[in-house]
Amino acid sequence: MAALLRGLRAGRALRGLSSVVAAPTATNPQCGSLRRGFRCAGLRLQDESKSDKPPSSTSSSTTYHEHYQARSAEQDTAASASDPAVDQSTDPNTSYQDQSGEQDEEYETEEQLQARILTAALEFVPLHGWSMEAIAAGAESLGLSSASTGMFEKGSGDLVLHFIAQCNAQLMEILAEQHNQVQLGQAEPKKTADFIRDAVETRLRMYIPYIETWPQAMSLLLLPHNIPDSLKHLSTLMDDIWYYAGDRSTDMNWYTKRAALTGIYNTTELVMIQDSSPDYQDTWAFLDNRIQDVVNMATTAKQVQSTGEAVVQGLMGAAVTLKNLTGLNQRR
Amino acid sequence: MQTAALRVFCHWPQSNSTAMIRQCLKCRALTLQQSSRAYGVIPPPRDSEEKEMVHRMLRVDHAGEYGANRIYAGQMAVLGRSKTGPFIQEMWDQEKKHLEKFNEILAENRVRPTALLPFWNIAGFVLGASSALLGKEGAMACTVAVEESITEHYNSQIRTLMEKDPERYTELLQVIKEFRDDEMEHHDTGLAHDAENVPGYWLLKNAIQLGCKAAIYVSQRI
Repeated sequence: MAALLRGLRAGRALRGLSSVVAAPTATNPQCGSLRRGFRCAGLRLQDESKSDKPPSSTSSSTTYHEHYQARSAEQDTAASASDPAVDQSTDPNTSYQDQSGEQDEEYETEEQLQARILTAALEFVPLHGWSMEAIAAGAESLGLSSASTGMFEKGSGDLVLHFIAQCNAQLMEILAEQHNQVQLGQAEPKKTADFIRDAVETRLRMYIPYIETWPQAMSLLLLPHNIPDSLKHLSTLMDDIWYYAGDRSTDMNWYTKRAALTGIYNTTELVMIQDSSPDYQDTWAFLDNRIQDVVNMATTAKQVQSTGEAVVQGLMGAAVTLKNLTGLNQRR
Repeated sequence: MQTAALRVFCHWPQSNSTAMIRQCLKCRALTLQQSSRAYGVIPPPRDSEEKEMVHRMLRVDHAGEYGANRIYAGQMAVLGRSKTGPFIQEMWDQEKKHLEKFNEILAENRVRPTALLPFWNIAGFVLGASSALLGKEGAMACTVAVEESITEHYNSQIRTLMEKDPERYTELLQVIKEFRDDEMEHHDTGLAHDAENVPGYWLLKNAIQLGCKAAIYVSQRI
């Protein structure tokens, strides 16, 4: 009986996978299944209380709960990871346009499936590292075939990028919540330097469970085919942190602030992976010092600018005086 | 908060009747009149393509107003104490208001400003100052050329937005139309103050307009 059920589940999963695998021959491989999937995703996002996919509903209640948790976690990440994904896809209509009609709830998009597998694979990273083995183990833990790792063109880079997107989304939730608290008057607004320090610390602490293997992840991100995506994630992270820190600049400060924060973040990350102090105290001290450096630099720059303006004023005054003395200012 | 709620309410159902949309817009227009903020000028983007398009438009508009500001600053630096000074000052003040509005919109919508701003800073000032060194007619000719380019640019943006969805972009269209009208007024002021009398008017005007076109092209992308 159990074997039959497993066979059913595997059959449905493989059918879904085969429709995805067959598609790549077209020029827009993901368009067809994506459009249908987004219709269903739209339906499913509205209808979260409805039952899970039939395969999981036939299994015992504990695995149903795990599937539901994985599903809602994956939906959150899909909702947040779908933004970078949508940037890459060629289909512009992502959400509500195509809702009319189909009630096919068994179908999930390739993105959602990938997100689900990758989220499950994160559990196996301490064991297998950031590798295809971890992804295969994750797929198997969901009851899918380990051959589904073929879906991930960038290999283990996909896993790292997924994790980063997940961490960014978590940080955004935390920052948005803090922002709301301040707006409602329930919390005091923090000073910019403190806000930045807390945001970077919160974000880096998300790496602690995977800190042993994080150097491997960082090197994966530096591979040429992963660089565009990792840069995009990094730049959105920096932009989001500064936005919630209250930066509303519309001149070169926009660029200098984000560049400075990128420097702080990357160097602190590097310090963290070789830090062995209790609770990473050295890392946070390093972070404090770097932020203080940037603050000092900004203050010095302001001072230089005001000094420069004063000097210019002085020179103009001297020039006018000279012109008066030599009679150049007179009109005869 | 109310405008946010109104905005969410008005944009959520796709199948709104036009009467309901007009009502929503009237409520929003009222609250907009009460505050001079740019709150709610840009509708929340439906997808990344629209967001890209709107951000590009706002980026180049912001760069344009910034450049125009610097051009007038350059002209005032040379001709500030002459008798055309007050006219240039008046036009400059209007440009300052435009820039302020775009700064608000950019900050609201988290639009990245163009990376070439320092370049437009210097180039604008140099253009304004050098055209003013040709005398009052030179400054006016520069004004005419620049304002004509900007008007054409705003018109093409208005056309694009109208083609896409005039009701969705109503406030943005309102802002751009208002600014376009101001720029046309500057253009006419320039003509009224003997812009065409500068020697080499045709050459000067076309050279400046070519520069403006290049600046617009580049600022959209970088």
